[in-house]
Amino acid sequence: MFKKILVANRGEIAVRIIRSCRELNIQTVAVYSDADRHSLHVRYADEAFHLGPSKASESYLRSDKILEIAKLCGADAIHPGYGFLAERADFSQACQDQGISFIGPKPSSISAMGDKQVARETVSKAGVPVVPGTEGQGNLTDKALLKIAPGIGFPLLIKPSAGGGGKGMREVANIKEMPGLLTASRREAESSFGDGNIYLEKLILGARHIEIQILADQHGNVIHLGERECSIQRRHQKLLEEAPSPFIGDDQALRDKMGEVAVQAARAVDYINAGTIEFLVDANKEYYFLEMNTRLQVEHPVTEAVTGIDIVKEQIRIAAGLPLQHKQEDIILNGWAMECRINAEDPFRDFMPSTGLITQSIIPAGPGIRIDTGVYSGFEISPYYDALISKLIVHEVTREETITRMKRALDEYRVLGIRTNIPFHQALLDNKDFQEGEFDTQFLQDGNLPVRRHQMDRTLPEIAALAAVLASYKQTHQSAVSMQRGRRETSNWKWTSRWERTKE
Amino acid sequence: MTSEIYFAEVGGEKYQIEILSEKRVVINGVTHEIDFQTLRQHSSCSLLVDGKSYEPNTFQENGGWEILLNGRRFNVLVEDERERRLRLAAGESTLQEGRYILKSPMPGLVIDIPVKAGDDVKEGQVLLILESMKMQNELTAPRDGKIARIQAQVNDNVERKETLLILD
Repeated sequence: MFKKILVANRGEIAVRIIRSCRELNIQTVAVYSDADRHSLHVRYADEAFHLGPSKASESYLRSDKILEIAKLCGADAIHPGYGFLAERADFSQACQDQGISFIGPKPSSISAMGDKQVARETVSKAGVPVVPGTEGQGNLTDKALLKIAPGIGFPLLIKPSAGGGGKGMREVANIKEMPGLLTASRREAESSFGDGNIYLEKLILGARHIEIQILADQHGNVIHLGERECSIQRRHQKLLEEAPSPFIGDDQALRDKMGEVAVQAARAVDYINAGTIEFLVDANKEYYFLEMNTRLQVEHPVTEAVTGIDIVKEQIRIAAGLPLQHKQEDIILNGWAMECRINAEDPFRDFMPSTGLITQSIIPAGPGIRIDTGVYSGFEISPYYDALISKLIVHEVTREETITRMKRALDEYRVLGIRTNIPFHQALLDNKDFQEGEFDTQFLQDGNLPVRRHQMDRTLPEIAALAAVLASYKQTHQSAVSMQRGRRETSNWKWTSRWERTKE
Repeated sequence: MTSEIYFAEVGGEKYQIEILSEKRVVINGVTHEIDFQTLRQHSSCSLLVDGKSYEPNTFQENGGWEILLNGRRFNVLVEDERERRLRLAAGESTLQEGRYILKSPMPGLVIDIPVKAGDDVKEGQVLLILESMKMQNELTAPRDGKIARIQAQVNDNVERKETLLILD
């Protein structure tokens, strides 16, 4: 087993990894940028080393510096977390070259899954269904695309090869309207990205984003830990995840089949360590490979809750060469788990990021609640990294009870000084369609429920008016007090307290 | 102490609130027992109204108050008697929001300013695009108005709270 692990990350995930290391009795090394000197991961680790300026490219992405520090402090392994260097084949290779274990897959697996075309080809050869389309077949002419289209089936999407954000994208219902839409799509792609190349992809109606967590050791054992439902997304950013998926529910046959397919996909690239196979699942429960994330996922705690497995500890054991402790038949999903990503974003202002000092943070507690966070009262949210400040995970028996518990936890949660998306989550959990499990990846795109609006207690506006008036009143009187400063004989605070006592 | 009268407006609803003492207020003619405690240095307050407990977050935004309460946001305009007298003397019939000063909510890089001085803009219209936290953020108009002045320029690195533009 490793003696010392360097955690090449920051924020909640660095703290999360350090916790598992401590429980395994492994020494930890943190690295930090200028902005993170006061971060929790630096304080929790046994050792901490400065990387450089706040910008990620000058700190957390400096693989050379990180390796230098690892050698200097005698770390025998590096855990990359997620983001930053986690899916960089060259970094995995560099670790290997320096004789330091990379807690993650081999460079070849990262490369194979990192290139979308190679990944599609590899997994479809292994019998894994992919979204039918022409991506990766080169730049085809309109004539060729029109010939291929019926084979893919309608409706389908025309997508520009370059760029994203929906520009140049066209939905095609039938072959008759396709030539005109091809021209329009190319024109828009050309003007937006300077590249008129396009490809076709089958349009998956009512698609859900469901992913399978897998674990693979160095001895050829690969198991899956069931699914996670991740369809609640805004601009392709996941906001709430749960395990199991309400869409799969008690369809154990579908769960087993998707699990098997995920294991096949992992085997196809000789995968080792923890990984996730993402699928799109349509309304008819047909599933298609989307991509593989060759790292620990943000939302791994919901799987940990329902399986009882510490995925980070498993990652470390696997990297140390130990065989998996669990067989597929040992994996039983227990109850329901849900995670809300608490972001420093203002849901009332189109999810604008919010920076600044967290003046107070009171985290929810009590039965079935877990918080993974890297922030605390007095912590300054900087603009350099992503907006995730904590993950609130709850575990209960049924989905209904899980939602109730999550609502209770969100009501307890106080983060002051900055804006957070907690009101968004409260609105989401109040939504009837969400409660009934009726949602797909478009759920938040359709202008659905940005904030709580319905079933409002009618006295609330009055209370808000009163709060504003009392705040104004207090402010006026406090400034009146400070303006008289110096004209009193007694000290200021004594005078204030006397005023406080007599003002009634 | 002498009582003070305030006027508040939330979503078109008007409230006359008389502060009789620190423990008693009259809202639109109905007396309530209250207790209002601000948590030191925080935007949060504990407010008891006739024994019911509330925890509003108060923020001062562009001349008004923004109150977060039970996961909802309320924009409240407040004036005291003197302000109300002055306003009525000036012949303004409704509570007016003053100039809106768009300040940068965070440090960042100005990517685009799709409006120019003198433009009439609609509520929700994009005024400026700011890159921060690895995201491009659209800063939008909180209400209809006319662009009075633009302070920032494309490619400017701006600080938090720096004035970007002014809306009349």
